[in-house]
Amino acid sequence: MLLENTSLALASLQSNKLRTMLTMLGIIIGIAAVIAIVTIGNSMTRSMQEMMASFGVNNIDLYAFSEGEAEEEQTQPFSFKQEWLEDMLEEFPGEIKTVSVDSSIGSATLEHNGKTVNTDVIGVSAGYLVAKDVELIAGKSISSMAYSIGTWDCIVSDLFVELALGVSPEQAVGKSVELNLSGSGLQELHISGVYHFDFDSWVMNYGDRTAKREEVSTEVYIPYRTAQEFMDAPDELSYFTVVATEGTDTTDLAERLMKFFNDKIPDETHYTCESYSMQSMIDENNKSMGQMTLAISLIAGIALLVGGIGVMNIMMVSITERTREIGTRKALGAPNSAIRIQFITEAIILCLIGGVIGIVLGIIFGMIGSKLMGYNGEIAVWSIFFAMGFSMLIGVFFGYYPANKAAKMDPILALSYE
Amino acid sequence: MSLIRLENIIKKYHEGEENELEVLHGVGLNIEEGEFVSIVGESGSGKSTLMNIIGLLDRPNSGSYFLNGQDVSETTDNERSRIRNQQIGFVFQTYNLIPRTTAVSNVEVPMMYAGVPKRERTERAQWLLERVGMKERMQHRPEELSGGQKQRVAIARAMANSPAILLADEPTGALDSQTGRSIMDLFHELNEKEHRTIVLITHSLPLSEETQRILTLMDGRIIGDRKGKYASGKH
Repeated sequence: MLLENTSLALASLQSNKLRTMLTMLGIIIGIAAVIAIVTIGNSMTRSMQEMMASFGVNNIDLYAFSEGEAEEEQTQPFSFKQEWLEDMLEEFPGEIKTVSVDSSIGSATLEHNGKTVNTDVIGVSAGYLVAKDVELIAGKSISSMAYSIGTWDCIVSDLFVELALGVSPEQAVGKSVELNLSGSGLQELHISGVYHFDFDSWVMNYGDRTAKREEVSTEVYIPYRTAQEFMDAPDELSYFTVVATEGTDTTDLAERLMKFFNDKIPDETHYTCESYSMQSMIDENNKSMGQMTLAISLIAGIALLVGGIGVMNIMMVSITERTREIGTRKALGAPNSAIRIQFITEAIILCLIGGVIGIVLGIIFGMIGSKLMGYNGEIAVWSIFFAMGFSMLIGVFFGYYPANKAAKMDPILALSYE
Repeated sequence: MSLIRLENIIKKYHEGEENELEVLHGVGLNIEEGEFVSIVGESGSGKSTLMNIIGLLDRPNSGSYFLNGQDVSETTDNERSRIRNQQIGFVFQTYNLIPRTTAVSNVEVPMMYAGVPKRERTERAQWLLERVGMKERMQHRPEELSGGQKQRVAIARAMANSPAILLADEPTGALDSQTGRSIMDLFHELNEKEHRTIVLITHSLPLSEETQRILTLMDGRIIGDRKGKYASGKH
């Protein structure tokens, strides 16, 4: 019966292709709009999540801010004390994987084959590579010994190796490079490890589409202890990052860490500690993206509503045109329910075909839109099922009234209809 | 036991309103199994109304209707649909084939509503079309068929569920005399060879004379019941 109704519906829709197409247009536009919007929204969310995740989902940044006047801030420099950090590790056992501390000591250059290679030199603690998820593709990490005594061992990017040495990452390990530190002159560094610099995601994260690969300034990591010698206030620690262990509720831990340090900071300093967890930022971002998608989808929903009314209208025309057929079917023994199902099926199929076309167009536009906005196109699979289900629902909803009208026709009147 | 028995059928339109119109004033009739009966009357005599009542498309205001021994006067819409489907085969003046649907699919329609499996009904539809001389045009659509061919398909369709009666309403009314003749021959053949009960509703006296029995309807009453002059196949 379902098969018959389907082929009947297809035959009927085929018999008037232009009308069918025009009727579907409303559904097509509505569904295409929803799918395109959801695809773009999804692509944006995914890209942002990836970007944020690249900064570390388990990271909690802790900063100190001055509550007081600007002058006060100047006269009373603030620092997290070393023993507070040790207390923290004791206070939250099992929740903290490591602590990352970093401080940039400025840019450095290197001349190679007449070209200038730019870098930023950053002093880091051992936890930094964990916090920033820096993975070595060659060599090994800086030894804990080197961290504690402050050697000139360093970790550089593969791009730097390529530009400054013209060798593969493996060949670069163990080599020395001479960097011109701005304001401090030449310094020889010893390459311990090489990490991969992802130019494409750098472009995406920083949004500088005009940047040239060979001009990008990549980061060179040296032990924090070494970098301290270049700092004005080497013992000052105004921010640091805590890496939570896997599975920890970082949003909650961030709250507790903030409270812990605010209890530590003496009141008279007028400083207060604030914490940011990447997870809470991602949550926040997802929430606002979701709201935006919902709002625009509602507008697209209006297009669908108009499309649905179009379907209802054409179904009314169709049953009027086919009054005799309905009368004949009834005379041949079709119960009212069979007539009703026949026309509802027709409406559903009309909407489903429109829905499929809309989905295809929506995905195409969504992918193009995402690319134009600089995101990797990412189809939201749920939206396809949702669109199919919704177009079916429109078919049932807007097909029911005309179908019911057909079902309730008086066979005698229907048979004598001219 | 009569196949069809009507007792004192009264049909009024707009009952209880100012423009109330009584069309049938207590019609009673019996039709036996295997009979070829014609109901003759001028337009306005009430023969369409009578046909609609016999065909269970309409309900009388009062009176009883027994079909195959079953009282069908008080039946629900769904029961009437089922009875039409199983017991009555309609042949209309204007054929009423379903457009854009092949001859064989048209013949399948009553069987589809009867729930006959697809394969079985296709086979039976093909057999029926062969039976009415439409073997060569089974896959043609109504739009591609002549009037006579359409009526043959309609007759095959009417026989789809082996109904108790074939109810033919002016089946030759839209055909030229030669084609009409061939359709009448087909009815005679079905009546004689398969003993099908046929009720022919017509305003044409010459056609009715071919049937075994003629019921004359006038102003909503049966005023005559006699044998056809050229009955028993001699035409």
